[in-house]
Amino acid sequence: MKNRLRVLRAELDWSQADLAERLGVSRQTVNAIETGKYDPSLPLAFSLARTFKRQIEEIFEAERSRL
Amino acid sequence: MSPVQSTWITYRSQIEIGLALLAYMMFLLGSVTILRGNPDTSWRYVIAVVPVAPAAVVVFLFVRRLARLDELQKRIQTEAFGFSLGATALITFAYGFLEGAGMPHLNWTYILPLMAALWAVGAAIFTFRYR
Repeated sequence: MKNRLRVLRAELDWSQADLAERLGVSRQTVNAIETGKYDPSLPLAFSLARTFKRQIEEIFEAERSRL
Repeated sequence: MSPVQSTWITYRSQIEIGLALLAYMMFLLGSVTILRGNPDTSWRYVIAVVPVAPAAVVVFLFVRRLARLDELQKRIQTEAFGFSLGATALITFAYGFLEGAGMPHLNWTYILPLMAALWAVGAAIFTFRYR
Protein backbone atom coordinates (compact mmCIF):
# COMPACT_ATOMS: atom_id res chain seq x y z
CA MET A 1 0.00 0.00 0.00
CA LYS A 2 1.38 3.41 -1.00
CA ASN A 3 1.63 6.06 1.68
CA ARG A 4 2.86 9.61 2.33
CA LEU A 5 4.43 8.82 5.65
CA ARG A 6 7.96 9.87 4.72
CA VAL A 7 6.74 13.24 3.38
CA LEU A 8 4.51 13.92 6.40
CA ARG A 9 7.30 12.95 8.75
CA ALA A 10 9.77 15.21 6.91
CA GLU A 11 7.33 18.14 7.14
CA LEU A 12 7.47 17.86 10.93
CA ASP A 13 11.21 17.11 10.91
CA TRP A 14 10.67 13.86 12.79
CA SER A 15 13.02 10.91 12.52
CA GLN A 16 11.63 7.39 12.18
CA ALA A 17 12.58 6.88 15.84
CA ASP A 18 10.60 10.01 16.83
CA LEU A 19 7.50 8.74 15.04
CA ALA A 20 7.98 5.23 16.45
CA GLU A 21 8.14 6.68 19.94
CA ARG A 22 4.88 8.60 19.42
CA LEU A 23 3.15 5.49 18.06
CA GLY A 24 4.57 3.09 20.64
CA VAL A 25 6.08 0.80 17.99
CA SER A 26 9.62 -0.04 16.89
CA ARG A 27 11.58 2.03 14.37
CA GLN A 28 11.73 -1.09 12.22
CA THR A 29 7.92 -1.08 12.01
CA VAL A 30 7.81 2.58 10.97
CA ASN A 31 10.43 1.88 8.29
CA ALA A 32 8.54 -1.18 6.99
CA ILE A 33 5.32 0.85 6.71
CA GLU A 34 7.09 3.73 4.96
CA THR A 35 8.70 1.46 2.40
CA GLY A 36 5.37 -0.28 1.76
CA LYS A 37 6.65 -3.66 2.93
CA TYR A 38 4.12 -3.82 5.74
CA ASP A 39 0.53 -2.60 5.88
CA PRO A 40 -0.36 -1.48 9.41
CA SER A 41 -3.38 -2.77 11.32
CA LEU A 42 -6.45 -0.53 11.41
CA PRO A 43 -5.73 0.62 15.02
CA LEU A 44 -2.15 1.57 14.06
CA ALA A 45 -3.38 3.34 10.91
CA PHE A 46 -5.80 5.36 13.08
CA SER A 47 -2.93 6.15 15.49
CA LEU A 48 -0.90 7.42 12.54
CA ALA A 49 -3.83 9.53 11.36
CA ARG A 50 -4.27 11.03 14.84
CA THR A 51 -0.52 11.66 15.16
CA PHE A 52 -0.41 13.57 11.87
CA LYS A 53 -3.89 15.10 12.41
CA ARG A 54 -5.01 13.77 9.00
CA GLN A 55 -7.60 11.40 7.62
CA ILE A 56 -6.37 7.87 6.94
CA GLU A 57 -7.09 8.40 3.21
CA GLU A 58 -4.71 11.37 3.22
CA ILE A 59 -1.89 9.12 4.42
CA PHE A 60 -2.56 5.79 2.70
CA GLU A 61 -3.58 5.07 -0.86
CA ALA A 62 -4.81 1.59 -1.73
CA GLU A 63 -3.42 0.17 -4.96
CA ARG A 64 -6.11 0.04 -7.63
CA SER A 65 -5.72 -3.69 -8.30
CA ARG A 66 -6.45 -4.46 -4.64
CA LEU A 67 -9.71 -2.46 -4.48
CA MET B 1 8.99 5.80 26.10
CA SER B 2 12.08 7.19 24.35
CA PRO B 3 13.95 5.16 21.69
CA VAL B 4 16.86 4.84 24.13
CA GLN B 5 14.54 3.38 26.81
CA SER B 6 12.95 1.09 24.25
CA THR B 7 16.38 -0.14 23.10
CA TRP B 8 17.46 -0.67 26.71
CA ILE B 9 14.32 -2.71 27.45
CA THR B 10 15.05 -4.85 24.36
CA TYR B 11 18.65 -5.42 25.46
CA ARG B 12 17.63 -6.02 29.09
CA SER B 13 15.12 -8.61 27.92
CA GLN B 14 17.83 -10.34 25.82
CA ILE B 15 20.27 -10.24 28.75
CA GLU B 16 17.64 -11.73 31.10
CA ILE B 17 16.87 -14.55 28.67
CA GLY B 18 20.62 -15.13 28.16
CA LEU B 19 21.24 -15.33 31.92
CA ALA B 20 18.28 -17.69 32.41
CA LEU B 21 19.62 -19.92 29.59
CA LEU B 22 23.05 -19.87 31.24
CA ALA B 23 21.47 -20.84 34.59
CA TYR B 24 19.59 -23.65 32.84
CA MET B 25 22.81 -25.01 31.27
CA MET B 26 24.64 -24.80 34.61
CA PHE B 27 21.80 -26.59 36.44
CA LEU B 28 21.69 -29.22 33.69
CA LEU B 29 25.44 -29.78 33.85
CA GLY B 30 25.30 -29.98 37.66
CA SER B 31 22.34 -32.35 37.59
CA VAL B 32 24.01 -34.70 35.07
CA THR B 33 27.31 -34.62 37.00
CA ILE B 34 25.61 -35.43 40.32
CA LEU B 35 23.53 -38.22 38.78
CA ARG B 36 26.61 -39.79 37.15
CA GLY B 37 28.41 -39.74 40.51
CA ASN B 38 25.39 -41.06 42.46
CA PRO B 39 23.40 -43.27 40.07
CA ASP B 40 21.60 -45.25 42.78
CA THR B 41 20.64 -42.49 45.17
CA SER B 42 16.99 -42.21 46.26
CA TRP B 43 16.75 -38.49 45.32
CA ARG B 44 17.91 -39.01 41.73
CA TYR B 45 14.48 -38.14 40.30
CA VAL B 46 14.46 -34.79 42.12
CA ILE B 47 17.99 -33.98 40.88
CA ALA B 48 17.02 -35.04 37.35
CA VAL B 49 14.11 -32.56 37.13
CA VAL B 50 15.81 -29.61 38.91
CA PRO B 51 16.92 -28.04 35.53
CA VAL B 52 13.23 -27.68 34.65
CA ALA B 53 13.01 -24.74 37.12
CA PRO B 54 15.43 -22.40 35.24
CA ALA B 55 13.93 -23.70 31.97
CA ALA B 56 10.53 -22.49 33.22
CA VAL B 57 12.07 -19.06 33.86
CA VAL B 58 13.35 -19.03 30.24
CA VAL B 59 9.84 -19.85 28.99
CA PHE B 60 8.29 -17.13 31.19
CA LEU B 61 10.78 -14.47 29.99
CA PHE B 62 10.34 -15.56 26.38
CA VAL B 63 6.53 -15.38 26.51
CA ARG B 64 6.73 -11.98 28.26
CA ARG B 65 9.05 -10.73 25.54
CA LEU B 66 6.68 -11.93 22.79
CA ALA B 67 3.76 -10.16 24.49
CA ARG B 68 5.69 -6.88 24.45
CA LEU B 69 6.45 -6.94 20.72
CA ASP B 70 4.65 -4.61 18.33
CA GLU B 71 2.47 -5.89 15.50
CA LEU B 72 5.19 -6.20 12.84
CA GLN B 73 7.58 -7.87 15.28
CA LYS B 74 4.81 -10.33 16.23
CA ARG B 75 4.25 -11.10 12.54
CA ILE B 76 7.99 -11.71 12.06
CA GLN B 77 8.04 -14.06 15.05
CA THR B 78 4.96 -15.92 13.78
CA GLU B 79 6.59 -16.40 10.38
CA ALA B 80 9.85 -17.46 12.04
CA PHE B 81 8.02 -20.04 14.20
CA GLY B 82 6.22 -21.35 11.12
CA PHE B 83 9.55 -21.69 9.31
CA SER B 84 11.12 -23.37 12.34
CA LEU B 85 8.23 -25.82 12.78
CA GLY B 86 8.19 -26.77 9.09
CA ALA B 87 11.96 -27.08 8.76
CA THR B 88 12.23 -29.12 11.99
CA ALA B 89 9.49 -31.46 10.75
CA LEU B 90 11.29 -31.98 7.44
CA ILE B 91 14.70 -32.53 9.07
CA THR B 92 13.45 -34.90 11.79
CA PHE B 93 11.34 -36.92 9.33
CA ALA B 94 14.27 -37.12 6.91
CA TYR B 95 16.60 -38.28 9.69
CA GLY B 96 13.97 -40.74 10.93
CA PHE B 97 13.94 -42.32 7.46
CA LEU B 98 17.76 -42.35 7.43
CA GLU B 99 17.76 -44.09 10.84
CA GLY B 100 15.58 -46.75 9.26
CA ALA B 101 18.31 -47.18 6.65
CA GLY B 102 21.04 -47.62 9.27
CA MET B 103 22.13 -44.16 10.45
CA PRO B 104 22.89 -43.97 14.21
CA HIS B 105 20.01 -43.21 16.60
CA LEU B 106 20.01 -39.66 17.99
CA ASN B 107 18.46 -38.58 21.30
CA TRP B 108 15.08 -36.83 20.78
CA THR B 109 16.18 -34.00 23.12
CA TYR B 110 18.17 -32.62 20.16
CA ILE B 111 14.87 -31.61 18.55
CA LEU B 112 14.22 -28.53 20.73
CA PRO B 113 17.70 -27.00 20.25
CA LEU B 114 17.33 -27.67 16.51
CA MET B 115 13.95 -25.94 16.53
CA ALA B 116 15.39 -22.98 18.47
CA ALA B 117 18.31 -22.64 16.05
CA LEU B 118 15.95 -22.74 13.05
CA TRP B 119 13.69 -20.19 14.76
CA ALA B 120 16.69 -17.84 15.05
CA VAL B 121 17.49 -18.42 11.35
CA GLY B 122 13.83 -17.76 10.47
CA ALA B 123 13.73 -14.59 12.59
CA ALA B 124 16.85 -13.30 10.80
CA ILE B 125 15.38 -14.11 7.35
CA PHE B 126 11.99 -12.50 8.01
CA THR B 127 13.48 -9.49 9.80
CA PHE B 128 15.64 -8.90 6.70
CA ARG B 129 12.56 -9.22 4.47
CA TYR B 130 10.84 -6.27 6.18
CA ARG B 131 13.90 -4.01 6.17
